[in-house]
Amino acid sequence: MHNPFRSPCLARQIVVLLCLASAGVLHAAPADPELIRLGAKIFRDTSLSASGKQACASCHDPAHAHAQANDAAVQSGGAALAVSGFRATPSLRYLNTALPFFFAKDGTPTGGLNRDGRAADLVAQAQRPFFAAHEMANADAAAVVDKLARADYTEQFRAIFGADIFADAELAFFAARYALAAYQGSAPEFRPFSSKFDLFLARKTALSAPELRGFALFNRADKGNCAACHPSTPRDGAPPLFTDYSYDNLGVPRNYAIPATAETSYFDLGLCGPDRTDLAARTDLCGAFKVPTLRNVASRRVFFHNGRFDSLSETIEFYVQRDTNPARWYPASTDGSVRKFDDLPPAYARNVNTSEAPYNRQQGGSPALSAAEIDDVIAFLSTLTDGYDPATGTADPARDVAPIAD
Amino acid sequence: MMQRTSLSLATLLFCGALAAPAHADDAALRAEVEALRAEVAALKAEVHGMHLQTASPATAANATATTSAPVAATNSAAPTSGARDVAASSSSNNASGGAAGSTSFWGYGELNYNHPTARAADAQADLRRAVLGFNHVFDDATRVYGELEWEHAIASADDKGESEIEQLYVEHALGANYGVRAGLMLVPLGLLNEHHEPVNYYGVERNYVETAIIPSTWREGGVALYGNTESGLSWNLGIGTGPNLGKWDATASEGRESPLGSIHQELQLAKARDPSIYAAANWQGVPGLLLGGGVFTGKIGQGQTAPPVEKSRLTLGEVHARWQPGPFDLSALYVRGEISHTQDANLTFLGQPTPVPKEFWGGYVQGAWRAVQWGESTLAPFLRYEAFNTASAYAAQPQGLGAMPLPTERVWTAGLNYFLNSNVVFKFDYQHFNNADEELGYGKRFNLGVGYQF
Repeated sequence: MHNPFRSPCLARQIVVLLCLASAGVLHAAPADPELIRLGAKIFRDTSLSASGKQACASCHDPAHAHAQANDAAVQSGGAALAVSGFRATPSLRYLNTALPFFFAKDGTPTGGLNRDGRAADLVAQAQRPFFAAHEMANADAAAVVDKLARADYTEQFRAIFGADIFADAELAFFAARYALAAYQGSAPEFRPFSSKFDLFLARKTALSAPELRGFALFNRADKGNCAACHPSTPRDGAPPLFTDYSYDNLGVPRNYAIPATAETSYFDLGLCGPDRTDLAARTDLCGAFKVPTLRNVASRRVFFHNGRFDSLSETIEFYVQRDTNPARWYPASTDGSVRKFDDLPPAYARNVNTSEAPYNRQQGGSPALSAAEIDDVIAFLSTLTDGYDPATGTADPARDVAPIAD
Repeated sequence: MMQRTSLSLATLLFCGALAAPAHADDAALRAEVEALRAEVAALKAEVHGMHLQTASPATAANATATTSAPVAATNSAAPTSGARDVAASSSSNNASGGAAGSTSFWGYGELNYNHPTARAADAQADLRRAVLGFNHVFDDATRVYGELEWEHAIASADDKGESEIEQLYVEHALGANYGVRAGLMLVPLGLLNEHHEPVNYYGVERNYVETAIIPSTWREGGVALYGNTESGLSWNLGIGTGPNLGKWDATASEGRESPLGSIHQELQLAKARDPSIYAAANWQGVPGLLLGGGVFTGKIGQGQTAPPVEKSRLTLGEVHARWQPGPFDLSALYVRGEISHTQDANLTFLGQPTPVPKEFWGGYVQGAWRAVQWGESTLAPFLRYEAFNTASAYAAQPQGLGAMPLPTERVWTAGLNYFLNSNVVFKFDYQHFNNADEELGYGKRFNLGVGYQF
């Protein structure tokens, strides 16, 4: 990648353009290896947080496919690591092909980073965690840059971006995010395509009978119908990413493990707020969250935007039993009836997807997947974990992570 | 035509004999006999010349096209590029169809209305296509030929219409009866693909077999040798691009509507690692009869491994016949296609609605009757029965996970073609399906259409 910061006199003039176009640049050209190495160091640097104990990698653990390592619904941050967050930590893998948010021709919200798509690219996405009170909690860019200037890779930072880079806090902060984006967008560990399923696609290994059965159940429109939003077929020669980048409202039950839910008026409505503000008027989108990739889903510790479930089997059971056995998932109202979709204001319950399989079933009916079939689907989903070793038959996402080179 | 000429010759001889005076003097009689001999010789030469013309398909179509419009409309089986070729060559005295430096233009179009009887809300009217073509003659042996098409009235980023180049090739005659073409050409299979103008087929819509199995209008880029013999045999050998199985979409219905139609490339940045070849022949040695067939084969994975299709080969073969005794127009066609090495690809599509078929086939028989003719107009009722299956077999998959072959679709089409003249046709028909599948467009319906060519 051309590095504009090597010419300090030009840097200021083009920084705005870079802010707008960085995603395209990252997609278009391979990044400078030095820049990637710097980004890797920033990613792991706990000194950049107010607590001095939290780095990007703290919540985006490479061993868990750059998602959280614990089973807490939400992570805590801040100066004392005591401020609870609001959403479960997403994996940062396979984001390099994500497009900025847009509405498709048919009106489907599509693309963007964060669970509500409000970050247009990796550079933009990297900004919020540095400032969020429940994450790294820096007061401003100057606070981040002050820490950067004292990091053990400062000279490397100056070598890349110019000797006087730290004289301008905003520019230096952008440079740091630029390096982070180069790392996340270019390093193979964020998109290794090293799962058993990838080897299966390349005909280098075979899937077991349960895995094949699970694959078919995953795809079948009358069973899991998972592939409707998590496409599983190669396109244009590229392996599938198991997301169509769209948004859906699943009516996930409220998770009272999130402290914010103690306030009855609190609702995380995804696309229409409160974190995202530009679509507040689109009440039809309230409750919709981004469809994530299912690669490495079996290595996740919690599921859905609010971390409501901590096991994959329970998550799939929710998918297929949400409507056939709602009492298992939702609380009872005072009149004894089940209060479905309790994590949405009643007016937005109509936004929940109730038309597509497997959600199109009636209470008391049979679920789209039996217990044995769910086991098969889990067997298949487990083939999507990166770092598969055919010799041992095990997968470990950490296998793909290169050690940081100086 | 030849029969009529022979009859005239016999009548002339007979009348000539009757006309000879019983008591004429020998000299006068000899002179008269000599004159008759000369006349007979001239007539023989004319008959011979007409015989040669009949044996040459292009000139036969030419002769037919300039006589009776409905006949021309139903004589589309000539294995050249259809009525436009005929029009281009009708005024020519060279192999390239016109005077050197001349450019001719032609076109056709059709507007259709479909009305599903069970789902009237889905009734649809469409400017199906408008086509402009050109033929530019460089010299006695060389021309360039092109066809530009617009479908569905409006083609833009926000509309459903398409703008496309359907044919664009350079043709060069290497001899009196053979030549070479290079460019984007129609694949010379079946009765319809090369002759897809609305005046050249019965029914508002093109038949299903030659759209679902032979994906009319099917064209590929490449080089072809073509020619014909005095015995009425025409032939065409080509090598060029083929379909791209790498773009098979197992999640969509297009592959079930038309396996090859969903993966043809139309020379649009076509993946071209694997060349395909084809061979086709038609015989028209007997007036009114056409017998033909062809084979298209080639690897269609284009080297792609995701999905794993790099070994897959398409082989498509067809035979067809057309017989036009008197006012009747009878035709039949059978086509069968196979795609090899689909097992691995389909393993990556488990549970998806549209795996890659191993076999697909179709056939039809059709009878038409030019029942009423007045002036240039002809009314021709017709009946067509089609049977086809876009996925009659799939490669084996692990037990319990394989896809079931699709049921064979059977379609009856009955209707009328009213040829106002040889270039304008109004159509009406009714179609009955045995497996009404609205998703694939199979539902009982009646259709109205108007088409033209110039």
